[in-house]
Amino acid sequence: MGLLSPWFLAGLGALALPVYLHLLKRHKTTPVPFSSLMFFERRTQSSIKHRRLKYLALLALRLLLLLLLTLAFAQPFISREAKANPAEKRLLAVVDQSFSMRAGSRLADAKSQAQTLVASRANGQLTQVAALGSRLKMLTEPTVESGALKGAIDGIEAGDEVGAYGELSRALRMAIANDPRPMEVHLFTDGQKSALPSGFADLALPSAVALKIHTVGPAKSEPNWAVETVNAPSILWDTKKARVQATITGFDTPASKRTASLVVNGAIAATKSIDVPAAGRATVEFQGLEVPYGISKCEVRIDAADKLAADDRVLFSVQRSDPKRVLLVHEGRDTRSPIYFRAALGAAAEAAFTLDTITADQSSGVDTSKYAFIAMADVIPPVAFVEKAQRYVAGGGSLLVAAGPNAAKQSKIPVLDLPVTEGQYYSRAGERFSVVGESDPTHPSLRRAAKWEGVKFFYAAGVDPQDSRVVARLSDRTPLLIERKIGEGRALLFTSTIDNVANDFPLHPSFVAFIDQSARYLSGMEERNAVTSVGSHLELRSAKERAVSVEVIDPDGKRPLSLRESTQAQSFQVTRGGFFEVRRANGRNEMAAVNPDRRESDLGALPAETVQLWTGSGAGEAGAVAAKAASDTPSGFQEEPVKKPWSFWWYFLLAAALATVGESIFANQYLGVQRE
Amino acid sequence: MLQRFLNPSVLASVSNLELIAKTVVDGFVSGLHESPDFGFSQEFAEYRQYNPGDDLRHVDWNVFARSEKMVLKRFRGETNSPLTILLDASNSMRMASHTVSKIDYARYAAASIAYLAGKQQRDAVGLIVFDDQVRNYIQPSTRQGQLHRILHGLEHAEPAARTDYAKPFAHCMEFLRRRGIVAVLSDFLDDPEMVIKTIEPLRYRGNEVVMLQVLDPQELQPKFNSSVVLIDMETDESIEVTPEYAQTEYREKMQRHLAALETKARAAGIDYHLLVTDRPLDTALREYLAIRRGRM
Repeated sequence: MGLLSPWFLAGLGALALPVYLHLLKRHKTTPVPFSSLMFFERRTQSSIKHRRLKYLALLALRLLLLLLLTLAFAQPFISREAKANPAEKRLLAVVDQSFSMRAGSRLADAKSQAQTLVASRANGQLTQVAALGSRLKMLTEPTVESGALKGAIDGIEAGDEVGAYGELSRALRMAIANDPRPMEVHLFTDGQKSALPSGFADLALPSAVALKIHTVGPAKSEPNWAVETVNAPSILWDTKKARVQATITGFDTPASKRTASLVVNGAIAATKSIDVPAAGRATVEFQGLEVPYGISKCEVRIDAADKLAADDRVLFSVQRSDPKRVLLVHEGRDTRSPIYFRAALGAAAEAAFTLDTITADQSSGVDTSKYAFIAMADVIPPVAFVEKAQRYVAGGGSLLVAAGPNAAKQSKIPVLDLPVTEGQYYSRAGERFSVVGESDPTHPSLRRAAKWEGVKFFYAAGVDPQDSRVVARLSDRTPLLIERKIGEGRALLFTSTIDNVANDFPLHPSFVAFIDQSARYLSGMEERNAVTSVGSHLELRSAKERAVSVEVIDPDGKRPLSLRESTQAQSFQVTRGGFFEVRRANGRNEMAAVNPDRRESDLGALPAETVQLWTGSGAGEAGAVAAKAASDTPSGFQEEPVKKPWSFWWYFLLAAALATVGESIFANQYLGVQRE
Repeated sequence: MLQRFLNPSVLASVSNLELIAKTVVDGFVSGLHESPDFGFSQEFAEYRQYNPGDDLRHVDWNVFARSEKMVLKRFRGETNSPLTILLDASNSMRMASHTVSKIDYARYAAASIAYLAGKQQRDAVGLIVFDDQVRNYIQPSTRQGQLHRILHGLEHAEPAARTDYAKPFAHCMEFLRRRGIVAVLSDFLDDPEMVIKTIEPLRYRGNEVVMLQVLDPQELQPKFNSSVVLIDMETDESIEVTPEYAQTEYREKMQRHLAALETKARAAGIDYHLLVTDRPLDTALREYLAIRRGRM
């Protein structure tokens, strides 16, 4: 029971009027002269009490009249069962095209059942065909033409996306919100358990939707082996040291021996046998990865011999290149900074970098373009070098500046152009040193070691960060690490030194992690989309204000981005597996290996109770029972009672008319002129 | 035809009290011709044996000459009954639910009785106007112009104060030395016991006393549409009254009051009549004539 126009209930406020008139309004009487009051008695009969007693019935009738009128306008209704006309109900045929539908003949069976449904529907019934992957894709407009519907069903192909039943429910809720007419939805799916959302509430369906699930595939879960993950370096300098690890997983499988192969650019590079336990995991490792210079397409595959062959391999890409060069500029008298920096860089970055060190005096004639990034260790560089460095950073290069007491003598930090304020000598204060107070662990430089525990800072240069990002501060809130974007490039400012004088940072392990992560971040090695899964997004550009063109080439060699998208899109969502090549404006090429989500490899079916709850979630217990009955019959339509709102406002109006008559009678009796 | 002038509402449009009295009496007398019970004339009535102390002027000397018996000759017309009208002019007599107030009605009745007595019966007519004291006294007399004095006294009898029977009636006892008829016109809205006790002494000197109670219809059967606040005309006291009470308990109390007043009056040998201001005036005249007839 409900109200079609609940706003009219505001009319209940009018009930206050008769209450006021009967109970609260002051009873005014005009004094009448009378010859003698000897026959009258003084009684305690206040006007209010008197009226309460006298007009109680009249008051009740008036209140009833207003109440009935208000309810009549609010149009109360109850849901009554009525025979449904099949032609009035919209029909939606949804075919699951998730990755798991590639197994066996699941997709073909689903399409066949959908074709049967379309053929057996009622005449004149509006029908729509949709495909379900990670989201619901409408393939046709609502139509009565069987040809268009059958064509759409025939055109459905298995995708690489993960199935998402929650997305189906969400799309249906939105569809009913736009058009509240009842809808009958038939879902043809393999009923994969992994397609359920994390919260069951996401499956809730509106009451106007009747969902029927038609399960294809075997009732029992099928055994399936899959290559779950591959761990391989994305950038390679030394092929002999490289290792490739792969995890082989069996779902409902017996213990067996499988053969894993490492394939590089289409040729098998290595093969290994592996014992996979029953319904368990095993890891295989390939030592050495002989790949040519440049980007190579690699994969690890197994001989699974199961029905879902598409998950028997995992793609990955490897880029082989020479170590990148890094330039460190230091003062001539500072011999400690190159030592500590070289040691940290060599220990952490797997020999990915070669360090060139020069003094500030030598920096004027250096060619900055051949370096992955430049570091400056508490120097006052010559103007010529500063200009070169500015051009280098604005063009996409990176810079790491350590500003100690020497650099703080300048009015501004070179290249970053941040004003220098008074530095802090903690060794001269009572505490003798300062420590890191707060840091942003989401920054790439601090991702692995953010706290820098035990590091003592004796000096910190005073720098006004302005609009730059402050990544870390000392305990007195002096900025310690600042990142500033300059043109297409970026610069990191460390407001202390790396020479073990102004702090003891170089003596701590966190220094190695900091240098390693900063080097990777500044050299752009973090940006690689090496291995990702279907449905994820490839980042195309970082500075959206620049209309630089980025090209994406899909596994078929086609460009999925339009010209406008290639200049404006921030990211690109991959919807299929394979190698995607991303060509950036700065000349860097990346090869993203996209693999289907391995959740799809688990072919475990939905529990029957879950199906009943889902299909009955919109219509309560009765709906659940009806849904169960419907799920038992794979296709076809039967007339079944549906609930329709039945408004009975005119009963209230009739009662209001009767109350009006009663009110008139009582009012005439009470308030009319009395005659003898 | 003339009887329609007995209607007090018609009389209210006439300002001359003498004309009102004449109109009433003429209308009343013209109606009497059809009723032989109430005739009056100067005809011989009876002979009565002389008793010592009788007035020798009434002895029929012709009979004494013929038979040497002393008899008294009595004529109807010669019955001398001085009439004294006591008019209550207290504030409660202002009550008027229609065109004629109680005081007006009482004045009409008093004027009519005075006219009938003075002009028609040649009786001496006097007037006492009282409220809580005697405000005006006109001694009963048959002199020329007496009627005009009575009417003048009535016209100037405007209600002013509260009713108090004890004090003015004590004075009245002094004025009423000759036996006669005393007509008391009042609303008698007081304790019946006290009213009768006050009026009863008037009879001790041989007076015929008639109580003519003048009431307004609204006093007898009050009608209110809703609760009203009533203000006492004499005491200015106020009280809230519901229509239910006025229709039920008040009427019962009023009826009990009227019955008590009549019962006690009869018991005390006093005639009692209720005059309602929306009814014709002849009731008072009939009462007067009945009493006078009984005295003959």
